[in-house]
Amino acid sequence: MKISYRWIREFVDLQITAEQAADRLINAGVEVASLTPVAPGLKGVVVGEIESIERELGESHGHRLVLCRVSTGSQRFSVVCGAPNVARGMRAAFAPPGAVLPGNRAIGAAAMHGTTSEGMLCSERELDLGEEHEAGVLTLEPDAPLGADLVGHLGLDDVVLEIEITPNRPDCLSVVGVARELSALTGTPLRVPKIALVESDEDAHVLARVRVDDPDLCHRFTARVISDVKVGPSPAWMAARLRAVGLRPISNVVDVTNYVMWEIGHPLHAFDWATVTDATIVVRRAERNERLKTLDGQDRALDPAMLLITDPRRALGVAGVMGGADSEVTAGTTRVLLESAYFLPGSVRRTSRALGLKTDAAYRFERGADINALVDGSARAAQLIHALAGGRIARGMIDVYPTPHAPPRIRLRMSRVRRLLGIAPPAETAAAIFDGLGLPTERRGEELDVRVPSFRRDLTMEDDLVEEVIRVWGYDRIPSTLPGGAISLVRLPETRRQDRLVRTALVGAGMVEAVTYSFGDPKSAAVLRGPEDAPPVALLNPMSEEASLLRGHPLEGLLGVVATNVRRRQPNVRMFEIAPTYVWDRGAPSASATREPRWAAIALTGARGDAGWDRAESAVDVYDAKGMAEHALGALGLHARGRSGGRLAGFESDSHGVLISGDDGITLGEFGEVAATVRAAFGIDAPVFAAVLDLDAAAALPRAPSRQEPLPRFPPVQRDVAFVLGADQEIAAADVDAALREEAGPLLRDVALFDLFRFPDGRRSLAWRLTFQAADRTLTDDEVNAIHAGIVQRIAERFQVVLRA
Amino acid sequence: MTHPRVDAIAREAREAVAAARTAAELEQVRVKYLGRQGAITQLLRALGAMSAAERPLVGAAANEAKREIEGLLDERLGVAQEHERTRARAAARPDLTLPGRRPPRGVVHPLKRVEDEIVEVFAGLGFSVVEGPEIESDYLNFEALNIPKEHPARDMQDTFYISESTLLRTHTSPVQIRTMQAQRPPVRVIVPGTVYRRDVADMTHSPVFHQVEGLAVDRDISMGDLKGTLELFAREMFGQQSKIRFRPSFFPFTEPSAEVDVLCFVCGGGGCRMCKQSGWLEILGSGMVHPNVLRNVGYDPEEVTGWAFGMGIERIAMLKYGVDDLRLFFENDLRFLRQFA
Repeated sequence: MKISYRWIREFVDLQITAEQAADRLINAGVEVASLTPVAPGLKGVVVGEIESIERELGESHGHRLVLCRVSTGSQRFSVVCGAPNVARGMRAAFAPPGAVLPGNRAIGAAAMHGTTSEGMLCSERELDLGEEHEAGVLTLEPDAPLGADLVGHLGLDDVVLEIEITPNRPDCLSVVGVARELSALTGTPLRVPKIALVESDEDAHVLARVRVDDPDLCHRFTARVISDVKVGPSPAWMAARLRAVGLRPISNVVDVTNYVMWEIGHPLHAFDWATVTDATIVVRRAERNERLKTLDGQDRALDPAMLLITDPRRALGVAGVMGGADSEVTAGTTRVLLESAYFLPGSVRRTSRALGLKTDAAYRFERGADINALVDGSARAAQLIHALAGGRIARGMIDVYPTPHAPPRIRLRMSRVRRLLGIAPPAETAAAIFDGLGLPTERRGEELDVRVPSFRRDLTMEDDLVEEVIRVWGYDRIPSTLPGGAISLVRLPETRRQDRLVRTALVGAGMVEAVTYSFGDPKSAAVLRGPEDAPPVALLNPMSEEASLLRGHPLEGLLGVVATNVRRRQPNVRMFEIAPTYVWDRGAPSASATREPRWAAIALTGARGDAGWDRAESAVDVYDAKGMAEHALGALGLHARGRSGGRLAGFESDSHGVLISGDDGITLGEFGEVAATVRAAFGIDAPVFAAVLDLDAAAALPRAPSRQEPLPRFPPVQRDVAFVLGADQEIAAADVDAALREEAGPLLRDVALFDLFRFPDGRRSLAWRLTFQAADRTLTDDEVNAIHAGIVQRIAERFQVVLRA
Repeated sequence: MTHPRVDAIAREAREAVAAARTAAELEQVRVKYLGRQGAITQLLRALGAMSAAERPLVGAAANEAKREIEGLLDERLGVAQEHERTRARAAARPDLTLPGRRPPRGVVHPLKRVEDEIVEVFAGLGFSVVEGPEIESDYLNFEALNIPKEHPARDMQDTFYISESTLLRTHTSPVQIRTMQAQRPPVRVIVPGTVYRRDVADMTHSPVFHQVEGLAVDRDISMGDLKGTLELFAREMFGQQSKIRFRPSFFPFTEPSAEVDVLCFVCGGGGCRMCKQSGWLEILGSGMVHPNVLRNVGYDPEEVTGWAFGMGIERIAMLKYGVDDLRLFFENDLRFLRQFA
């Protein structure tokens, strides 16, 4: 909210600059986002009078040009002007030669249309005071002092503070509220002028009636009537002030309601009395299927939870949000019904959101208006309408206020202040702080009884008062200490320990970690979802279609990252991410509970390592992905066997494997080549190899206790064996490997595949090195040869393969 | 001791040693004079055939010549070998300016790195780590934290909903509630995690970001203790000369509440672009746990007090590393990430 510093100073006689005031506010928790001078570029512009229009000069750009004689009291100027509204006797903003307009535009005497223009008459836009230009020059009141500096006359030597309040401080959404705060912070008294109204003999209660049918949503409703008003434009000073704080002047009556909202903080609404059927206001909830055309011209569907201002015939406005179009004050209005009411904050907020209608009024009501200040607001508005639009203020104010607000009393123990803050001011200092804030206080020794007026509804309990004390006394007085108490063991979740082991292993192996959004794009999610998979978890209110799901596949985010890097000409990507997926607990959205299984995802593309002076570049393949996954599992103390197949979508079917825990057959992860369809969906041209580890499954496995085995005392003996597998034989290396272990007997120490060769005809040769060792003796060649020969024969028979010579 | 029969051979051998240039030539000399068939060896072998008078004389001289030549050979051989080794190494001298053979270097994501640093500081101060789900109930994310429905404070945290009653948590505070529901005071925990707010991504906002929150509840724990703890944290995180400042603020779940600034470590408080001329950098929100929150988990606010704080990891990482666009953390451009290797 923008607030004029001059306006604030009408209520508190501050002797400090706007900058200093902003500092005080910030340190007391009222954020001041910016300080902006109102008319920084305006110099030498004065009040001038058009004494006469000398002659026509023809047309220019569709405007009739005239030569005027302009007086500033002491001097006369010949001025060429094309504004449609120039008229003899009018007083207007005049820039004589030597004046400077915004944008550093120096005004001098200029030759125009065969004559000399000595200065110029200025529009709002030319003065940077508003948008208006086509209507003509900025006109001033007939009694504006001739020759007076416009900046001083319109109060433009001012600074606008942009205040950002926290939701608990609606009282600071007004000039008086901020003035009150500054009064407390500086010890300068607040002076809110008493409003003296001149009322007519007509009784407001005769001119209008008010009925509140739903007092649960409308705690108070007041109305005043002002008759014989003359609706027209606001005077320049008010228009300038409204513009300075970002409001658009409309007409004197409407401008007054906005002006008072800004000044006192209470939103008001002015109805054209003549449009209110039977001059009767009824405050009630909307009926089913009821509609209303609001001030902004929108025809709106209402629901029965919304509170309306109505007359016996129809809706006149949405309570606290916006008035209706057909009861608004217009140029023809002569009698005004002025509403000043209190609506329940939650109700206004719900209605405003349901209608998608954010207004200054709703913003204040939903944060909590001041149920007592609305009386002052009504009086102040009546006073200003009378001053600006004339007319007569009917006697009295209709006030439907069934349950008057009783200011709560809160007891503050200074011991509580000390306990919460670690420090406390003397009780009399605290009492003085409350006085300054407008909270009447009685002191009883080390306890204070504080009465909370209606403008501070945020104060509901003792600790709220503790904050008020320290806020004004100064947060910098809070001491700096360390908590005592018993020492307890610091615990880390097992999941975190696991994440760290995996991260350390992968980073140690040269992998780069990614952190991605948890959102999924339905298009890419579709290619990563198998036919059996449950529908993904979706957001009710996503920011965009591309981010409307939650990650359903562990590779979803990472593949996006691969795409980004490849697209940016970084073809070698070796990255991982540790992140959850989000799934329906029982596989279906009907069961509302969700689970967040944890995964480590690995993706590789391009070269295995950068080429160097000593090595050529080699491309990554599926074994890099598998090995990286095995490496990470190893870091968790787990060993897994690879197998073809897998459950997750997104891999090429002929290059897709699972990693199965050695002992219990639990699937710990999957790996393979990312399917071409998936790559296409992500826009990746190069082959990508990936692996995912199911960290929850890994965490659930018992880890074998680590035990040191004695070092061998006798030498190992090695034998190599190679088999040729026919082109049509589908034999997995892992099966032969397992068979070798099975057949070799207890002396076998290790089996390692050390060579793989493909013949042009499709046959494969696989060579293993077998290591034998005994714990109690040196093995003899004869002994090992016998074992070896037996193995070779049995394997060849079992798999129907040929021993390679 | 000399003897004419020996002298000639010895002289010849000495000359041969002197003439030999390489270790191989020296070896040839050794064979020629001292080898099995060598001249001096032959001479010694022939001693038995000599007269008793001549034998000791020739024997002594020959033995002396043998020792002398052996000594000379060893000496020259050492020099020659050293010379040859030097030449050989010179020929194969490595160019040590060639790049070393480095293993590929991995990178911990800067957000995880900063999260770890923050967690470690607080672990050192006796805070245990707790985690919780990202999809939360409206109750734990809002209502238990004193943010009822239709409260304007909900505007501060625009929310993604999964259903009417479940949402993506807007802060890790629901884990504080879960923790307090599960245990009696004293509580001292730190809660890292991913959180969500419906903000359009720009240089300083992201719909997905990361937080670390802390919570301490005990019989007598004050805002002064909060300040002292955060001061220690700031020094660990931003350097020993760090200073912090408390400013009043509002959070529905704390009372009193404070925004915490750290003295700008770029300009030292004088004002610069980083701190927008204010001299201070906002790093976290904090306050004394609201009595309603304590009551919601069955604690008695007259019996225990507590404080909580929460910070955005992105914000801390941006300050620490001088990153000016938050989106960089989520783009995962390798050229960006490798700077944190």
